[in-house]
Amino acid sequence: MTLQQQIRANRRRTAFVVFAFVVLIVVFAAASAVFVGRTGAIGLLAFGLAYGVFAWWNAGRMIGSLTHATPLQKSDDPDLYRLVENVSIAAGLPVTPPVYLVDDPAPNAFAAGSRPSTVYVGVTSGLRRLMPTRELEAVLAHEIAHIRNRDVRLMTLAAVLVGVIAMLSDFAFRMAFFGGRGGRDRNPLQIVAAIVALVLAPIAALLLQMALSRRREFLADADAAAILNDPEAMALALRRLQLDPSEVAYADRATAHLFIESPTRSVKGAGNFLAGLFQTHPPLEDRIRALEEAGGFRLEALPGPA
Amino acid sequence: MTWALVIGVVIVVLLLAGVYLYNRIVRLRNEVDTGWSNIDVQLKRRNDLIPNLVEAVKGYAAHERGVFEEVTRARAAMAQASTPGEAGAADSFLEQALGRLFAVAEAYPDLKASTNFLQLQSDLTDTEDKIAAARRYYNSTVQAYNTAIQTFPSLLFAGAAGFRAREFFAAEADDRAPVAVSFPS
Repeated sequence: MTLQQQIRANRRRTAFVVFAFVVLIVVFAAASAVFVGRTGAIGLLAFGLAYGVFAWWNAGRMIGSLTHATPLQKSDDPDLYRLVENVSIAAGLPVTPPVYLVDDPAPNAFAAGSRPSTVYVGVTSGLRRLMPTRELEAVLAHEIAHIRNRDVRLMTLAAVLVGVIAMLSDFAFRMAFFGGRGGRDRNPLQIVAAIVALVLAPIAALLLQMALSRRREFLADADAAAILNDPEAMALALRRLQLDPSEVAYADRATAHLFIESPTRSVKGAGNFLAGLFQTHPPLEDRIRALEEAGGFRLEALPGPA
Repeated sequence: MTWALVIGVVIVVLLLAGVYLYNRIVRLRNEVDTGWSNIDVQLKRRNDLIPNLVEAVKGYAAHERGVFEEVTRARAAMAQASTPGEAGAADSFLEQALGRLFAVAEAYPDLKASTNFLQLQSDLTDTEDKIAAARRYYNSTVQAYNTAIQTFPSLLFAGAAGFRAREFFAAEADDRAPVAVSFPS
């Protein structure tokens, strides 16, 4: 799949996510009309859409605060910045994205931002400490590849819009059980609202899954290997991530798919079906094998010390 | 009547395909140009660093005139190179000259300890890395562009439309190895 094909596919997926979001908001507002009246429904519709636009506009910042990422100045870590600059040049990005640091011992990295001017690369302090330069460069190239093929825009959009739907679903749920016109007998409309709330969240999760290509991590790995002309470095970096059992503290369902490897080992409090539904990343073992096949090498079982 | 319609449809389809292929080649050519200007930025940056570097070394090793002249000549050749092929040749010449300059610097501990020299050395390493990165991108865009104009069906009109194959920039055996500017302690 060439870069142009990836970009086109991501543009289609992005359009689909926006369309599905609008449809969900409209359905939600219409369903709530019986409950809050026509004016209320229009208000909800307007609020949902406006909040979606707002979230889209501020998506990078919202994800930054969700993951506790703070901007890193060039003087704080010139070596890391140089690596990001070099990788951006090698990838042909018009501008070098800024770097954000997440103070977390678990090694991981992500990229976020809805517009070219707000896109950034986030790395955890654990990644910075654990990775030797060659592998760190590969991880950065992986994130830059996501930026270049517009994965980041799509994933950021999916994260914030699913967040909006989750919030509305929560809102409907509260209305169903605590709102209403009082009295002890439960209004049947409240039950409708409860059902809407219960149905909406899984739909949002499905939407997220449909938006995400299962191949996107493989493609970003392959692109990173091509950018650096070094598939082994990417495979070594993935092996190092695989060997580290720690989890990123501030990552949840909404942001998990942004990371280079799944930031949590298992989704807590979900059954097997839901766990499968929320599986955001292919197993690292498969990704390493794909790189080995493409590059024609075999990794030792363990990488050398950093 | 039917025949006219069929011929008309065929012409329209061919025209659309032609427009698509033409635009694709133009896009690829623009990427090559962008790739080249990325290299150019870094080459200029390096060319601006070199006089300072030569001055810094001169301050400690004024008598090593041969090396300075060589670096200056190589730098001038680099500045005059107009095509990627020429620039590539000048580039390997300049890297050799810089390698010799650093080998000379090796013999002067005071020079090696000076912050000015260390800063210049680190800037030069950084620029060399960026040239290598820009070269990888540029060469990949040239590869894509040349393949596009040399394969069917674009092949049929690319030459007539003025699309010429582009040169690679210094296809060295190992483009990962930058100039050796680090010293074993």
